[in-house]
Amino acid sequence: MQPILSVHNLNKYYGNQVGCKNMNLTLYPGEVVGVVGESGSGKTTFINSISGNLIPDSGKILIETGNETIDFLEISESLKRLLIRTELAFVHQNPRDGLRLDVSAGGNISERLMSIGQRNYGNIRQTIFKWLDKVEIDKSRVDDFPRTFSGGMLQRLQIAKNLVTSPKIIFMDEPTGGLDVSVQAKILDLLRKLVRELNLSVVIVSHDLAVIRLLADKIIVMENGEAVESGLCDQVLDDPQHSYTQLLVSSVLQV
Amino acid sequence: MNNVLKFKNKKNTVAAQDEIYNFAYLDENTKRMIRRALIKALCIPGFQVPFSSREMPMPYGWGTGGVQVTSSCLTTDDVIKVIDQGADDTTNAVSIRNFFKKTANIKTTEKTSQASIIQTRHRIPEEKLKEKQILVYQVPIPEPLAFLEPRYQETKKMHALSEYGIMHVKLYEDITKNGHIETAYAYPVKTNDRYIMDPSPIPKFDNPKMNNNPAIQLFGAGREQRIYAIPPYTEVTSLDFEDYPFDPSKAPHKCSICGSNESFLDEIITDDDGNRSFICSDTNYCNQRMENN
Repeated sequence: MQPILSVHNLNKYYGNQVGCKNMNLTLYPGEVVGVVGESGSGKTTFINSISGNLIPDSGKILIETGNETIDFLEISESLKRLLIRTELAFVHQNPRDGLRLDVSAGGNISERLMSIGQRNYGNIRQTIFKWLDKVEIDKSRVDDFPRTFSGGMLQRLQIAKNLVTSPKIIFMDEPTGGLDVSVQAKILDLLRKLVRELNLSVVIVSHDLAVIRLLADKIIVMENGEAVESGLCDQVLDDPQHSYTQLLVSSVLQV
Repeated sequence: MNNVLKFKNKKNTVAAQDEIYNFAYLDENTKRMIRRALIKALCIPGFQVPFSSREMPMPYGWGTGGVQVTSSCLTTDDVIKVIDQGADDTTNAVSIRNFFKKTANIKTTEKTSQASIIQTRHRIPEEKLKEKQILVYQVPIPEPLAFLEPRYQETKKMHALSEYGIMHVKLYEDITKNGHIETAYAYPVKTNDRYIMDPSPIPKFDNPKMNNNPAIQLFGAGREQRIYAIPPYTEVTSLDFEDYPFDPSKAPHKCSICGSNESFLDEIITDDDGNRSFICSDTNYCNQRMENN
């Protein structure tokens, strides 16, 4: 099987500061890769660099679309933006960054559909309802503005907005950050269900090991902009080899 | 003051007005700059060309863009008509007409068919335009995406890459809120199957007239410093949904003066009891119908 996304020797510097260095990643279809590390370790720089939000200094990003392999850093900006709104999706930590707050919930979900050329209001409406149902938002809220939504609902709306065009690769930057524990559990539940149902390939960044353990198949541990350990999720978390990973694992609070 | 006196004393010839104003107010270099922008705009229908808008002797919002475009197109043989919301006799129309009378010493008319240049605010004349006529629109906000995407850099990219999904989000919101597309003026159009364009705040009733029009259509936005254009016989389509097609719509009334069933109507409240009547917004069209009857 071909990996759907592969990253080779990716570097991103902010002046002399290391953003992330020598990063490698292989993501197979239907797989979830978690990126963990403390804040400032370069997780977000990494995910932004591979999703098109930031331009890395060097490295290679290959995306397999099914009929061809695309060199993500070499393609034209128009093709890149087309990919970003069709094949790729980015779930922000703060859902307000990924939503239009002065457009109704339904309008938010429909934007991607219309940008790829759907022009039938009835069909668009049907798709919106289907997705509201999938992310467990009550259908009666379809015409309400996101600003009237709770934090957890906003996050679920953002997920629906991103997944509506069935993108192949989803990037998530701390999707459960800033939510209370029970809402976190709900979102995680939802994500797990969607990943299975739709066979999504996901790169997820989190500082929360529990989130990663629940969702991810593979894990990359970052420290100071570099990957210090990577491998199967259970293996790395149950038997951490690198001292930093050991520290991370041992500092998880037990209830 | 001296200049004005000189003007009054001399005969109303082109030579006479030349001493006071350059022909049609603007200096030749400015006109050349604007003509360049106009040619570029005509080559790329619907594309907004930046130009260095000049201070005009009227406030922004009164048609400074339109006046600059008209001024750059005028020749001594031109006959100009100016309308404001369809009417030849409202303040804006009268003042701009007088402006060109004074600065270009040019013939003016109220008859659509006799004008070679028509400057308009918010209407397209009812009478069909012909080849070799120029229609100049006054545009307040040229960017159709402005209310949806406030970042100008971003809207430029969206135009360049034809990323127009968001435009339909606006129409979607309209249908969701009102059951139909509520946008009644400045209804967005796609020009030559490429650029999405703001037709200036004309009623959507006028949108179909832009399509395949034999006349040249020029748009000038003075404050926003943009010029765009539709060359003759260009396809202009109004955005819509398959199941909610574009509907030009019009008030279900007749003009109470000329009885026309086809023209765009203004609603006029006639007394304190809320009685109202409807009359043609295009005064020249209405008058001509009355003369012919």
